[in-house]
Amino acid sequence: MKDTPLEIGRAAPRFDAYAKLTGKEKYASDFYAPDMLWAGVKRAGVPHARIRWIKTDDAIRIPGVLSVLTSKDVRGTNRQGVVRKDQPVLADDKVRHCGDPLALVVAEDRETLAKALASISLDIEPLPGVFDPENAMAQGAPLVHEENPEGNLLLKGSLEAGMGEKGFEECDETVEALFRLPSQEHAYLETEAGWAIFKDDILEITASTQSPFRDRYEAAEAIGFDMHKVRIIAPYCGGAFGGKDGITVQSLLGLAALNNPGRPVKMWWAREESILASAKRHPARLYYKLGAKKDGIFHALSVRIYFDTGPYDNLGGAVTALGLEHSGGPYRIPNTSLKAWAVFTNNPIGGPFRGFGVPQVTAAMEQTVDMMAKSLGISPLDIRVKNALRRGDRNPAGTTLTGSTGIGECLRKISASRLWQESETWKKASPPFKKRGAGLASAMQGMGYGPLIPDTANAKIELTQEGLFRVFCGVVDMGQGNASTYLQIAGEILNQGLSGMELVLPDTARTLPSGSSSASRTTFTYGNALITASKTMKKRLLERASDLLMAKGPEEMTLVPGRVRHIPSGKEMPLSALAGILSDAERTSVARYRTPSAKDSPTRDPNLSLHGIPHIVFSYAAHAAFVEVDTLTGLTEVKGFLAVTDCGRVLNPQIFEQQIQGGIAQGLGYALCEELKTDRGVIRTPDLGTYIIPTSIDLPDMESAAVELHEEMGPFGLKGAGEIAMNGPFAAVANAIADACGIRIFEGPMTPERVLGALEKKPSCQEEG
Amino acid sequence: MRRVFLANNTNELWDMLRQYPEAAIYAGGTDLLVRMRKGICDPSALICLERMDCLKGVREEGDQIFIGACTSHTALLADPIVQRSFPVLAAAISRLGSPHIRNMGTIGGNIVTASPAGDTLPPLYILGAAVEIMSMDKTRRLSLADFIRGPGHTDLKPGEILAGVWIKKDQPYNIFSLEKVGQRKALAISIASLAALLRVSGEGIIEEARLAWGSVGPTVTVSKEAESFLAGKRPEPGALGEAARIAMDAVSPIDDVRASKSYRRLVSGNLVLRLGASVDGNSPQPAWLPPAD
Amino acid sequence: MKIRFCLNGKNLEIETRPDRRVVDLMREDLGLTGTKESCGSGECGSCTILVDGQARLSCIMLAAQLEGRSVTTIEGISGEEGLHPLQEAFIAHGAVQCGYCTPGMVLTSLALLGRKPCPTRKEIREAISGNLCRCTGYQKIVDAVKTFASERKVYQR
Repeated sequence: MKDTPLEIGRAAPRFDAYAKLTGKEKYASDFYAPDMLWAGVKRAGVPHARIRWIKTDDAIRIPGVLSVLTSKDVRGTNRQGVVRKDQPVLADDKVRHCGDPLALVVAEDRETLAKALASISLDIEPLPGVFDPENAMAQGAPLVHEENPEGNLLLKGSLEAGMGEKGFEECDETVEALFRLPSQEHAYLETEAGWAIFKDDILEITASTQSPFRDRYEAAEAIGFDMHKVRIIAPYCGGAFGGKDGITVQSLLGLAALNNPGRPVKMWWAREESILASAKRHPARLYYKLGAKKDGIFHALSVRIYFDTGPYDNLGGAVTALGLEHSGGPYRIPNTSLKAWAVFTNNPIGGPFRGFGVPQVTAAMEQTVDMMAKSLGISPLDIRVKNALRRGDRNPAGTTLTGSTGIGECLRKISASRLWQESETWKKASPPFKKRGAGLASAMQGMGYGPLIPDTANAKIELTQEGLFRVFCGVVDMGQGNASTYLQIAGEILNQGLSGMELVLPDTARTLPSGSSSASRTTFTYGNALITASKTMKKRLLERASDLLMAKGPEEMTLVPGRVRHIPSGKEMPLSALAGILSDAERTSVARYRTPSAKDSPTRDPNLSLHGIPHIVFSYAAHAAFVEVDTLTGLTEVKGFLAVTDCGRVLNPQIFEQQIQGGIAQGLGYALCEELKTDRGVIRTPDLGTYIIPTSIDLPDMESAAVELHEEMGPFGLKGAGEIAMNGPFAAVANAIADACGIRIFEGPMTPERVLGALEKKPSCQEEG
Repeated sequence: MRRVFLANNTNELWDMLRQYPEAAIYAGGTDLLVRMRKGICDPSALICLERMDCLKGVREEGDQIFIGACTSHTALLADPIVQRSFPVLAAAISRLGSPHIRNMGTIGGNIVTASPAGDTLPPLYILGAAVEIMSMDKTRRLSLADFIRGPGHTDLKPGEILAGVWIKKDQPYNIFSLEKVGQRKALAISIASLAALLRVSGEGIIEEARLAWGSVGPTVTVSKEAESFLAGKRPEPGALGEAARIAMDAVSPIDDVRASKSYRRLVSGNLVLRLGASVDGNSPQPAWLPPAD
Repeated sequence: MKIRFCLNGKNLEIETRPDRRVVDLMREDLGLTGTKESCGSGECGSCTILVDGQARLSCIMLAAQLEGRSVTTIEGISGEEGLHPLQEAFIAHGAVQCGYCTPGMVLTSLALLGRKPCPTRKEIREAISGNLCRCTGYQKIVDAVKTFASERKVYQR
């Protein structure tokens, strides 16, 4: 079975499954060695303060403690960040959130490390903090970064199309609302981890990361070490979802290793530390106003979005920009005025998380659409179909859609589904004290980095001396299975099965720079590069084999698993034999691909373009949620869920479903129970007992279907599927609750308490049909 | 380094306790070891009771059932006597923690922890459970209600351990209901719960009601007033509504990270409204999507 | 102190601190890193091991408690002759994504199948409700266990 050539479009077992199932796979957290040291950091515990003195002498005197380092020991810029470098490796002047690291300790073992960290005392002057994004922009608000000329503003963006706000004057109906979305914790099961060693003048860092190549220069610059002597190795992540798209342990490990040459140093954040220090989905406040003609055609949209990015950029500007670009949803709206602000506060760090700003705006927009449908007396499905984008339309951000645009098809598939058709009957059969409802949401997700940051991948494939094809994967597989898809792509082109292939995971010393594992880009970008590299390889092998076997030309030759065959004579040559004849250069093929960007200029603001606007390739989805609300407790149970997705051609149906189901699960958690609670910057849900993610009995079986439109630019017609499923569930559930009970919860998540509160305010609910 | 002792029998246990009177005692460790991680306690020695076979199992003695303190939740769920005689207790245990927690945790541990959210406590209250307390030289028995003194506080004295629980075998009720409201369905700490036992006559009249709420007061909340109000009435919306109002006055919940005081109070009352469904034979526990078997 | 127990079918005597967490003993001292740690406080199931056939959380168990027990970790599930058929079902049904919850899921499911050879989907969901997974939404894990249980003969060799 492993010899069967891999084929595009057919489910193939994941290459990584065997090692993961047997416990053999070594994650970054799985490294141990007899001479290994442990590193850890002392964190601030207060949200905003000036640092006067960090007292480390007690710690350094503890036997078994090798180093205690503070910002004074950082030789580089001591600043990290992708767009804006504002996050210290070790805090120097100020503490800007509770999770800021102040001192780094390296010790012989974990007990000593814990003792040393506890013995460090801090002399810090508390400062008034700022915890609300709108207050943060007020005159006189405490400043998170005093040196920032724009106060607490990280990014402000505005997109305007048609007549903008003036469009409302021509509308028959207007609805508006304010939505509040919570901070969401990634809760990947593998917390931030890695190990490093400084040996023979090379600093080698193995980390659970989504972005090894970027980490390399970011960490090198921050800690002041020659980037060319830094090597980053990125094993499979035990989950990441955006939370490891940026520096976590890397610089700290580098610093720890440089100060303790020759010995491996490990750092592994405890769950509580992970929740305290890591970036989360931005809490958001969204003001929406939608106008339509009385036939339900959307005419004007006004949006004001505030993203609380916490104390550091951490891609928060880019997240906000993507939210802004998607804030109007997959609809034709001729007049739009879209505005967004990313604001610094002393709350936990806001950063990338699956969907990258789009889940927030989709939650708001799709509820606004239902509110409009209700006030016009049009069905939620019809109003969406009427306004759904088609190829050639401009989207609400002003981008002309030149590629596949399948939202209409997704909606039609929902309407034809058994679940949707039977939902009226199902709703009427609700048991006592329960109300049932069905809700819809449309969603879209742009692919890649946008116009300015080169969205490139460099693929490399090698025919080994043993006759195997070795794919050098430059983009991290954080669990989504892209590495397996790469093998499938190469296998399809070279007609090989899994047993004829090898995989090299991202390693700055072995693989080529291919960007981060993010932005629904991994298979799109690297896949396109790999197609070229594999085709070049195939052509060369057929040509060389054709000469060796005295064929008339390469058209007489074909690749079969492990061999190359001369078709007319049936003569075959093992690939290992062919490899033995080829030079090293001939056995390797590399190719680069850059994802194109939109040709429109919806904004003249170069800063917005830098932050990713506009995109050209979008995936689409329509989601339907079927819920049962308990009117006594307010508990909402999702009884069924249907997702129809347009992410182009599906290369591996199993991996596609994994992404859709997993995205829905995180989306349902976001809708119903997940909320990182803070009180003046202090996290009140510090562990997995208080930060609630769904268990197996909180989620329904889900149905997923694909609208397989061919996307010209995509590898074999594919568009990214990694994020899209995260966007719909919140609004689909909210709309289903509204359908069930006639209430709308404007603040997420829609916990039993919030739902019951809304039901109490609407006493007629018990009697309503 | 902490010393850890495994007691196999009471003789060993008393020896250990004599030598290490400061030792913390645990059975499953699902509570103590988590509190140690959080730094809430830091005992110098630990005594583990998981091998105390004499404190395990369910047995009949006359008209009473004895449940050993070190019986795991999983063992209780599988026990035919518990299933048959105390389904309200079984229902509560089936919602406790997770399968793993139930494999490790014990009923004794749940009682001694005396959490306001302790899942076994409301059913044990209404079943009229008594605890048996053992020390080197004597055993004593007192009602569970007298044993639990407050959040995290019991009547257990130094040198004493909880040996088990006594429950009268024949309970004069024909209807039970157990509902737990948490933030999710497994691995959840109760926000509010209601355990109820009713004796309903052939004519549909409630002859006797026992009700106990969890997580809405420092310990289990009972309401004699609500119970006696329901006696003699049909489990219909009017009567249940009045009982719910009484219940909402009886509870004394607090705000915490899981839920507000006002939500807990409201739900304490609302859960009473669902008792009618139990009498009608509708499961009081929210079901999820029927499996597609 | 000296602790004797049976690990993955082999009798073992080791010298360790009695209060060492079993998860550290497995991973750090015995090199069995298939046992994962994620929450450290019994809230996620990543560190599941089987103790005398029953699923337990090795992050809230101390080394002393292992004395005389029989312990199975994920490394003890597949034999020389290849994967356990349940593991094959996990592959076939795409039940593995990041893989970090996977060892715990496999062990918990095996414990379930040991006492209930033909569980319903609901019973499977119940049984793994103490094992958090952040990637899959659980459905494909349930599919794998369910198919394995109902098609056991197919997998038996």
